[in-house]
Amino acid sequence: MANVSEKKKKRNYNNMAYLFVLPFVVVFLIFSVYPVLRTLFLSFHNYRGFGEMTPAGIDNYKRVLTDKFFWRTLGNTIRIWGVNIVLQLGLAFLLTIVFSDIKYKVRGLAIYRAVYYLPNLIACTSVAFLFKTLLDWRFGTFNQIISTIYKFFGATYNPVNWLGQASTAGNTIAVISAWMWFGNSFIMLMAGVQGISKDYFEAAAIDGAGRWTVFGKITLPLLKPILLYVAVTSLIGGLQMFDLPFLMLGKTDAAYSSIQTVVMYMYKFGFETGTTQLGYASAIAYVLFFIILVVSLIQFKFFGSKED
Amino acid sequence: MKLKKLVSLLLVAAMTVSLAACGSGNDKKTSSGDENGTTEEGSVDKDALVIWTITNDQKTQAEKWAEETGNKVDVTVIESGDYPTKLQAALGGGSKDVDVIVGEPQMLEDFFDAGFFEDLDQAPYNAQDYAGQIVDYVWEVGQDSDGVQRAISYQITPAGIYYRRDIAQNVFGTDDPVEIGKLFADYDTVLQTAQTLKEAGYRCFASDGEITYFSGQSAWVIDGVLNVDQARYDYMDLCVELYQQDLTAYASQWSTPWYQAMSGPVPVLTAEDNAWSEDFAEETADRDTTEVFAFGLPSWGVLTLRDNVGDTSGKWGVCSGPAYGFGGGTYLGISTFSEKKDLAWDFIKWCTLNEETADWWIEDSEGDTVSLVSALEKHADDENAVYGGQKLYQFWQEQAAGIDYSKVTRYDKQIGDAWGTAISKIKTGEMTKDEAIAEFYDTVEATFPGEVTVNRD
Amino acid sequence: MAKKIKKVILYLALTILAVMCMVPFLLMIVNATRSGVEITKSFTLIPGDSLKENWEIMNNFLDVFLGMRNSLLVAVPCTLLTAYFSAITAYAMAVYKFKGNKVLFSVIVVFMMIPGQLGLIGFYNLCNTLHLIDTYIPLILPAIAAPGTVFFLRQYVQSSLSPALLEAARIDGAGELLIFHRIVLPIMSPGIATMSIMGFIGNWNAYLTPMLILNSQKKYTLPVMVAALKNSTDMQSNQGAIYLTVALSVIPIMLVFCFFSRYIISSISAGSVKE
Repeated sequence: MANVSEKKKKRNYNNMAYLFVLPFVVVFLIFSVYPVLRTLFLSFHNYRGFGEMTPAGIDNYKRVLTDKFFWRTLGNTIRIWGVNIVLQLGLAFLLTIVFSDIKYKVRGLAIYRAVYYLPNLIACTSVAFLFKTLLDWRFGTFNQIISTIYKFFGATYNPVNWLGQASTAGNTIAVISAWMWFGNSFIMLMAGVQGISKDYFEAAAIDGAGRWTVFGKITLPLLKPILLYVAVTSLIGGLQMFDLPFLMLGKTDAAYSSIQTVVMYMYKFGFETGTTQLGYASAIAYVLFFIILVVSLIQFKFFGSKED
Repeated sequence: MKLKKLVSLLLVAAMTVSLAACGSGNDKKTSSGDENGTTEEGSVDKDALVIWTITNDQKTQAEKWAEETGNKVDVTVIESGDYPTKLQAALGGGSKDVDVIVGEPQMLEDFFDAGFFEDLDQAPYNAQDYAGQIVDYVWEVGQDSDGVQRAISYQITPAGIYYRRDIAQNVFGTDDPVEIGKLFADYDTVLQTAQTLKEAGYRCFASDGEITYFSGQSAWVIDGVLNVDQARYDYMDLCVELYQQDLTAYASQWSTPWYQAMSGPVPVLTAEDNAWSEDFAEETADRDTTEVFAFGLPSWGVLTLRDNVGDTSGKWGVCSGPAYGFGGGTYLGISTFSEKKDLAWDFIKWCTLNEETADWWIEDSEGDTVSLVSALEKHADDENAVYGGQKLYQFWQEQAAGIDYSKVTRYDKQIGDAWGTAISKIKTGEMTKDEAIAEFYDTVEATFPGEVTVNRD
Repeated sequence: MAKKIKKVILYLALTILAVMCMVPFLLMIVNATRSGVEITKSFTLIPGDSLKENWEIMNNFLDVFLGMRNSLLVAVPCTLLTAYFSAITAYAMAVYKFKGNKVLFSVIVVFMMIPGQLGLIGFYNLCNTLHLIDTYIPLILPAIAAPGTVFFLRQYVQSSLSPALLEAARIDGAGELLIFHRIVLPIMSPGIATMSIMGFIGNWNAYLTPMLILNSQKKYTLPVMVAALKNSTDMQSNQGAIYLTVALSVIPIMLVFCFFSRYIISSISAGSVKE
């Protein structure tokens, strides 16, 4: 008898969940789901943003899959993201290890963390403008500094056109992007470490566990949910990369086609004068979404297998 | 623990307040929208003429107009890159909130097709009554493919070569615009001129994009077929030569060093740094700076230079380039959904067809070039001090007369950019000419399938 | 001794990294005090003397304090709505068993993957139909549904909240709402704070949606104002004013960031699960 009423009570608790998620679900349906479904609808039509909308079947999707420029932009995106994520997460992880190390007891976490986060506070437009000027081939401060250093050692420096050639432009953008975001990842990972009870570390210290043992046996496994989040969001964000490359290079620059990302390609057809083909832009968005979905699922499997 | 509780308490409290604020804001809006009467603080005044534009010019003009006529105005300046998006989003939904809309030449065809711009030929506007009063090419830009007048601009934007008179005297022994114009008469001559200047220790241009406004003989697309004329190839060769033979200062247009080149010496990195030629290394080994001779810009460049020339003010001149060309320009029209069309037409007429306004605008903008023929003639003898007292209005009117507007298509921006990319790739050695041109064709094909046919040579 | 040297090197590396993060920031502030012509000519860390002129140019074009007020009016409610509703949604999803939980989670994950720019046209049409153009509602209300934040907080609850605590509270007779507000919310605070910092900054710097939604200049948020300033006729002489406006627009963010930073630190020392 007592058992039954307890079960009932439990079910009552659980029913509260509907009330809790209700506002989210309602707003979500209206402001997120609806526009996205409309995009799906558009992807099966030809529409220039005004005038007549004609049904197009799956033509737009066929066109995406056979468009070599789409695949090239996808390649560009993955390449830039790859370099970026290694630097960004690597640096964030290194910092997390340093600051959570119980033996070194590095001080000033608050200040360092705040400073590392600074690049993320500036709007992307300003960051792009600053670096564009700093990295100018013949006049940029950056090359001037390197040149001075070379001269100091009696060598001559043939200035690198950082943003002007295909071989360096992508990596340059990846580095700037990592510079912008490593503080962000660092904060996330540190928040994860803070969720871990200090007892673990203290116990490990008493047991005389080494730094790497603590890291491998305690920090890493407990950080896994947060790490999963950071990795997934970074991949999703990375495949949607837009602002920085869009703002840093002009359309007629030699390296433009090597840094043009998928979303930049989509933007060309979604919003630019003369090429507004909303149906095609929508189809690109959905193909990109499908790719992100597949990659994320793989990532989930990889990270989340033990957790669930 | 206390702090945490405090924060969560604050969170809940602020939540309630912001939700309430949100809800009440909602109510206010609907009621004011329905009654069309009293307006809450911060919202658009219902009597005001609403203008959406891309430059601050209209703000200045609208304020003056409002002052003179006693009408109310509400001007919204939108970044030009975002303008088509915003206009499409609003007018695509049939919004009645905006009365006067604008566009740059390459935006107009799309806007006209979309039906955003009111037909100005019909009564009560009867725009064709004013046909001869505006410079011809500007009048034509404002017409849709059927020749219906839909927009009018208050300015003309013919392109010219801005050059340093002192350097011209030094190197060529004259600073007369007609004589210097001959040095830029065609692409071959431009290349020669650039070489002469380099030998004298100067650079002809700051960037290799200065001839852009003078490129092309015919339209990019004719009857749905991509058309690459010989002048495009010549332009491509010229750009590659300018770059590879060190005839520019390696700045990119609109970048910091490009502006810097207007006011005097710019640094040239030491000779060894140069990747392109060995001779250049010896020639400039002892030189750290150089000066730039010329810039190619539309007539609004008069203002750009004025603000950036610094100590070289008064030493500039303007001459014609290898072809007639123009760039930009803001065209005003009436939104088809507007409920204040008469007032909007009054404003457009006041901006474009009123000589007093033109006089005032010339003075207020400190040298913008108006499109009203009578005003241009009236000011034909005005001398501009920055340009050594040259009579610029006369010059621009002559240049504008030569412009062939039929060359403009809606594809210009995208195809022009693709051609520019091809040029960049060739000049930096990333691709051979054939590869780059093949890629250009691929790009056009992939961008406008079914719209533009590509016949490869 | 070796340990000390190691420590010095460590601090040196950390500091160099910090300097690298600060330089562009300083350049921005320095440029706010220089004239347009000076800025285009060279980079320096020595302040110029054009602050007053820049201030005047800026004031002629826009009312920066009105912009700040508007931005606050949008960013603060947004951040609070996101924080509260994401927390309650994430908590419900992490702790309760209910029909549709898994579906909801999948949908959230899926929506995190959709490129943001493209829903815009549909979003705008929607707002137009609902007569919400030129109001703050379309900028604020959608903040209730922030899939990314829910996702993060759900993970956070799973890793930091012990079910035993909830059971204990229930045995004490506490209602579910009370449990959430009095017990769970404080425990989730570090996670919420982290997401709120980012959310606030994102909302503060947001450009595209406000640009599309807002029509009257009086309602412009700061980034939209800055863009309008950039686009004014004479960009060159405005350079300094633009930097000044951007620099000013960063100040509120800095304040918020400082506040939350300190708060995060105190939460470390408190140690949430232990109490």
